[in-house]
Amino acid sequence: MIFSKKKITTEYTVEKCTKCGTLTKRKFNKGDILFAKTSKCNSCDGLMQIEKIFGETIEQ
Amino acid sequence: MISKIGTNALIWFEEILILVNFTNFDFDQLFSMSDDSNPLMMLVWILPIILFVFYGQQIQLFVTSREIKKGINKLEGFRVESRNELINYVKNNLKVIDDPVKKIDKFLDYFTIMPVDMDPNGIVDKVRHTVRSREDYTRIHVKSLSPKMNEVELTQVQTLLEIASSLQMIYKIINHMFLTAKKQNNYPLILPLQMILPFIMEQAEAMKEAIPAIKNGQPLGDGIGPMIVGKMMLDCKKETVALETSLSNTEFANRNLFLLKAEGPGSTVGRPADGLEKIVTENKIDVIIMIDAALKMEGEDSASISQGFGAAIGGIGTERFQIEAIATSKEIPIFSIVVKQSVKEAITLMTKEISDTADDVASQVHEMIRENTTEGQSVVVIGVGNTSGVPQ
Repeated sequence: MIFSKKKITTEYTVEKCTKCGTLTKRKFNKGDILFAKTSKCNSCDGLMQIEKIFGETIEQ
Repeated sequence: MISKIGTNALIWFEEILILVNFTNFDFDQLFSMSDDSNPLMMLVWILPIILFVFYGQQIQLFVTSREIKKGINKLEGFRVESRNELINYVKNNLKVIDDPVKKIDKFLDYFTIMPVDMDPNGIVDKVRHTVRSREDYTRIHVKSLSPKMNEVELTQVQTLLEIASSLQMIYKIINHMFLTAKKQNNYPLILPLQMILPFIMEQAEAMKEAIPAIKNGQPLGDGIGPMIVGKMMLDCKKETVALETSLSNTEFANRNLFLLKAEGPGSTVGRPADGLEKIVTENKIDVIIMIDAALKMEGEDSASISQGFGAAIGGIGTERFQIEAIATSKEIPIFSIVVKQSVKEAITLMTKEISDTADDVASQVHEMIRENTTEGQSVVVIGVGNTSGVPQ
């Protein structure tokens, strides 16, 4: 127990452009829901759709 | 000054080294192995033997009790934390009419008495009735905390309540077993507790860690099935086919597809068996495909995908029974695809590895449809699991 490392989970949201397929990964914001269309794509005029929401755990 | 002290210490250290000769140990002399006449050494050997023969169980009981007590303290912490999280969620997110603490404490102590199984005839219907009555009762009374809460909030509070009441029950049972063994000073009584405690702790920790994901409306590992089917349903017309269960009808490769999942993004598993029953009554179904999360075995890779035969659905067993009964009566084969994961992964925020399997599983579903049906046939695809944070 003394030597056990602390685990920290960071939540991420992955968005995908419905037109060009560009993927962007950012920190999860409260209210993010899968498949919701969030913003405009930076590469084209398509809409970004939330593709995945997941957590990544790192040991400290 | 410093160098002078250093030199003196070195001389002193050398003197010690000369005085103690480490190469000249006589083990026989040290432990009196060859000499039985040393009464002090005889006591050193014999006393522990006597002690362990007569008081071995008590010593083991003492050591084991300390370990179990640590676990129980942790469980009590989980119980208190989950209760506080639930109360804070209700107070901060919902417009409550009165102080909810008293009502929540009453819910936490609710118990369910399972039907008598001496005569197993009709037991599944009885169990289903008991469980659904409890669900309906909880839903109505949780709603009474704040009549203006929406369906998503209602399901979230229900799930948080389930977690808090399960942790309370686990704590009470483990503490009862421990105190009984201590009271009776009975070592064998504490052995089963020692054996099951690591598994119980794993489950309890997973439940405690599920709380933030439920509160934030995030997808859980168990939500991989609804996530895949939900994506397939995106541009289709949806209808509520059973309580908290959504259905869409679409086409794929000239096959008629019925897509079924719990109604998201609330935290619910829906009633897929009722949904399937309605679909089968109104349509001729040729194949049923179920997608679910399955518990991985130790040594198996997390997020590995497996295909199989039979109804892939967990829970108390009533839903599986109903699905199997429908499939048997209509002679419909059931195929399953499962994504393996641990208990913790299944009920906490979905991991990257599990979410990455979504596209692969979807393509396996399409392949399965093409391989097992011909054009013009009908298929039901069921995404089984908790649909928290997963709409359709």
